[in-house]
This record gives sequence, structure tokens and C-alpha cells, in this order.
Amino acid sequence: MTAYVEECRQEWKRLGVPDLLAEEMATELESDLAEAEADGVSATEILGESDPRRFAATWATERGLVAEQPPQRKRRRLWIWVTVGFAILLFVLLPVLSFVGGGHSVARQGTISHVVPRARSPHVVVPGLVGERKRAALASARSAGLAPEVRIASGGPGAAGTVIEQQPAPGTTLRRGSTVRLFVARG
Amino acid sequence: MRRMASESRRSQMLRGVLDLCLLAVVIDEPAYGYEMTRRLRERGLSTVGEGSIYPLLGRLEREGLVATHRAASDGGPPRKYYRASKSGRDALAEGVRAWRDVRGEVDSVLATIEAEVA
Repeated sequence: MTAYVEECRQEWKRLGVPDLLAEEMATELESDLAEAEADGVSATEILGESDPRRFAATWATERGLVAEQPPQRKRRRLWIWVTVGFAILLFVLLPVLSFVGGGHSVARQGTISHVVPRARSPHVVVPGLVGERKRAALASARSAGLAPEVRIASGGPGAAGTVIEQQPAPGTTLRRGSTVRLFVARG
Repeated sequence: MRRMASESRRSQMLRGVLDLCLLAVVIDEPAYGYEMTRRLRERGLSTVGEGSIYPLLGRLEREGLVATHRAASDGGPPRKYYRASKSGRDALAEGVRAWRDVRGEVDSVLATIEAEVA
């Protein structure tokens, strides 16, 4: 029976039951088991449970010495989902916000077009510039809030004077004022 | 198989009233754990079923229905003594009332059944 009580001790330790209280329960159990044995009462009668760990856990839980079992793992998992959800939200919202923030065009009766300025977002989305003429690409990049940098590319596939490649790729979110490289076919 | 099933029913029924029995044996005089088992046995409850009194004592202690203190036992090591607190006495009185109601109602339903049903 000493082994049984010893296993209870280990379980209480594992469950984070304070040492003082674990020792109190262990001593209580040991004394009672010894006395029961002297009376000819079986330990099974006293313990009612053959698994010491389950016995120890039930007792400590009923005494209110154990926090409800699974929360730690569950809470950690919950945090993962919250973080992932937040990241997804950010990923979806950022391009939308920076698009809206760049200016809001309202067309009325097909003739007048107002540009209503919005609070400038600190981030912008890189527009697709490949295939555009150099001058048009520079203008688009600047109006998107980026600083274009032109590199002349030789031997490329595109028509002379057009953008054949850009870095970073369209759709990338950058800080406003970041550099976007345009590779223009030699012409 | 049949025996197991009846033992389990006994355990189930006891589970609902064992706390009252424990309170009842420490209402006048405090007792340590095994002493309570002994008192139950002396009053006719020889086995408490498949469970143990310790988790139940733990719950009674947590709910403040029993108060505890450590004291030397007769010639033995110091023991943890339990006795019913004021709220424990109240809970016992209320529990006994509920038990008697249920027992009466169930008895009146089952009264017509012959005990020796084949």
C-alpha cells in the first residue's frame, strides 16, 4: 500500500497540488490504511479505486486543489487560432484599406469625377506595371505612393521602352515611399 | 453480471446520500477519516460502494460543510479530524428532508411490487 500512496504523491505533484497539502493527504491516507489493515478491512474498501493516479486526481480535484484539467492546452490552441485569425484579417484588410485610403473616386452622371481624399494609409499595394510604357509606369508607381527606380534591361523579350519586369511583384504590400524597381527593355 | 449490475445501482444510489451519512456521523463528535468509515459500519453501512469517502470529504471541506483540525489520536499519530460545521448541519437537515420525501415517494410507487419477482 506504500506504493499506492507513493503514486498518489507523484500524481499530486504532477497536478501542482501544494506540497504541504499533498503531504497532509498522503499522511491521512497512510494512517487510515494502516488502521484499516489492523481492523482486517481491505484497502480496496477504503480506496474504492484500484488506480492510484485516478484516486489521487479525484480527491485533489474535489478538494479544489487542481485547476480544471485541460485548459492549458486548450487555451494555447485558442491563442493560435486568435493569432491566425488576426493575421488573416490583417492580410485581407490591408490591401483594401490602402486601396480605399489612396483616394476615392466618385463619378456623377458620367461627366464629373471627384477625388475625395482619405487619410493616407502608411502602406500601399504595388500595382502591376509590366507591359506599360516607361513613362506611364513611372506615373502609376508614383501615384500609388511608391518611388520608382528604372533599370535598363538588355536582351529582354519585351518591346523597347516597356516594363518587362518589376520588383517586388504586383500585389505586394509595402510601406508608402518604398522603392519599386522597373526593368525597362532597352530601346 | 447480475451481481455487478446490482452493486452499481447500490453505488449510484449511495452517491446521492453518502455526503449526508458522512455529515451525520460527525455532527456530535469529530472523527478522522477511518473513524468515520468505522462509525458508518457500526450504524449498518458496511460498504460505501465503489467509491471512497476521501474525495467526498474533500468536497465537504471545500464547501465549508465540515471544519477540520489536527489532533493526536488515542496512542496513534496526529490525525485530521472532521466535524460538521454550522452550514454542514443546515445542509444535513435539508438533505435528510429531501431523502425522506424521495424515499416515501419511491416506496409508495414500489410498494405494490412483490420483492420476489422472478
